[in-house]
Amino acid sequence: MEGEYFNETSYRGTKKFSQQDVKTADATGFGAAADDYMERGIDLNEQLIRNKPATFFMRVRGDAMTGAGIFDGDTIIVDRSLKADSGKVVVATLNGEMLIRRLEKTFNKVRLLSETPKHATIEVDASCDSLGIWGVVTYSIHPV
Amino acid sequence: MKAIVDCNSFYCSCERLFRPDLQHKPVVVLSNNDGCIVSRSDEAKAAGIGMAVPYFETKPLIQKHNISAFSSNYNLYGDMSWRVMETLRMLLGDASKVEVYSVDEAFIDLGNIPAEDLYNTAMNIRTTVEQWTGISVSIGVAPTKTLAKLANYLAKKDKAATKCVKVLATRGEQVTAMKQTRVGNVWGVGWAYAQKLIDQGITSAWELSTMPEEWAYSHLGGVTGARLIRELNALPSRQMEKPLVNKKMIATTRMFGQPVTDLNDIKEAIATYTSRAAEKLRRQHSAAKVISVFIVPREQNYEVSFRRGATVSSHITLPAATSSTPELIKPAVQLVESLYEQGKVYKKAGVMLAGLEPDESIQGNLFAAGPQKYHRLLMDMMDNINFSMRDDVLKFATSGLARNWKMRQELRSKRYTTRWEELYEVS
Repeated sequence: MEGEYFNETSYRGTKKFSQQDVKTADATGFGAAADDYMERGIDLNEQLIRNKPATFFMRVRGDAMTGAGIFDGDTIIVDRSLKADSGKVVVATLNGEMLIRRLEKTFNKVRLLSETPKHATIEVDASCDSLGIWGVVTYSIHPV
Repeated sequence: MKAIVDCNSFYCSCERLFRPDLQHKPVVVLSNNDGCIVSRSDEAKAAGIGMAVPYFETKPLIQKHNISAFSSNYNLYGDMSWRVMETLRMLLGDASKVEVYSVDEAFIDLGNIPAEDLYNTAMNIRTTVEQWTGISVSIGVAPTKTLAKLANYLAKKDKAATKCVKVLATRGEQVTAMKQTRVGNVWGVGWAYAQKLIDQGITSAWELSTMPEEWAYSHLGGVTGARLIRELNALPSRQMEKPLVNKKMIATTRMFGQPVTDLNDIKEAIATYTSRAAEKLRRQHSAAKVISVFIVPREQNYEVSFRRGATVSSHITLPAATSSTPELIKPAVQLVESLYEQGKVYKKAGVMLAGLEPDESIQGNLFAAGPQKYHRLLMDMMDNINFSMRDDVLKFATSGLARNWKMRQELRSKRYTTRWEELYEVS
């Protein structure tokens, strides 16, 4: 149940597209031929949010993940419904603190890796219950 | 089969989602204006914090046990509630199978799932809601809403044993559960009825279920009472209800942060509440024909007045239904002027809009009389600006410029899920 179950999700935001949204629909003269080819336009939510009720936004502080292209001030998108596989960037809770790190699981250890030489790797036993996975980071929005 | 999904200490759970340090610590949430305790974590209950107790009374206990107290963060709770309900709708695959009963409870229709699969289905729903939203829930499953509520009550009572899921599929299970449940804990049996029933020797839900329907009809509030008996006997009498799209009445009422004596202050408060109610009115595309206003004076003697405050209220029927804030503020302020008595101290006020009908002027009706049309355009612009800027940047001067009639929320957490500038910061 834990694994594939959570992968079935798809974007569930609004997909409303009524005739009023067709920009040339109120043309009274000849030839709104383009009407027939009118599309809804690109909606970032479709691309970035797969499961709306399980998706949260957070702000990154610090440089723990710069090696992964996630910088101070970036907005990250966190999906709680995804399985936290080894190798994913996650928001983890450890001893009451929330951290953004790359998750690495071995048969008896769980590691939280930062992607900057400044921070040490955190290693705990797989059975450790002070570690929790809050959600899986799916995108980082970075101003250019 | 029906089930009720009920969030565990909902407001506290919302606060804890962004405060992992409080995971197994006692937490309480306070009502409007930080008045009373409205939500308690299990740890806070264990520390002896009562429900609906005034905050100031329980402060020593809160300090002694190092309990974290929060002001109500309705922006957060509203968003989290939507997430829980939306998750249920996605899991059930059909929005009509989810009846949102309150901010933290929903009835769901499980259809004809075989009895042996009910527990796993409910457990799956429970763990998925918790995984997706971070909110833990309890689920009671039974053939009727009333028995589902009863199952849920038992699931919550002993979370360790039930893992927050209780299924009452067979009559045997239902009877055992009813025997364990005191009559006052049955859904729909109020405090006064419970007293009456106990006086007659009916103490458990089971004993109540054996009473004849005719008896319930004459002693337990007519048809409602008869239905209650049927529901306890596993005969569905309360169906899943369709979501109420448009409210039939809109109210905005608040306790004042501090007691108020001055008429101008009360007028400002009433104008503010009217603005808020009018906003809700426009959001559901309605117009109101009746406006009523009430104010509640503080009693001299607390003990005597505990049960019922001496509310004074008055209403007015408007010549035409309207959704325009200024057209509603004017009569509201006139009403409160007539209610106000010099020298009294007021603690609460409210505005109610009723006689709601569809707002005719919405589509910018070309043939509507001039001012009506422009009122609507003006209101739309005002709502748009206030909605995009979030904090009422545009308001009517009657609502007061200096003073803020919003709630006192000294201990409110950030609005993590609804404001860009208040997102959780992770490092």
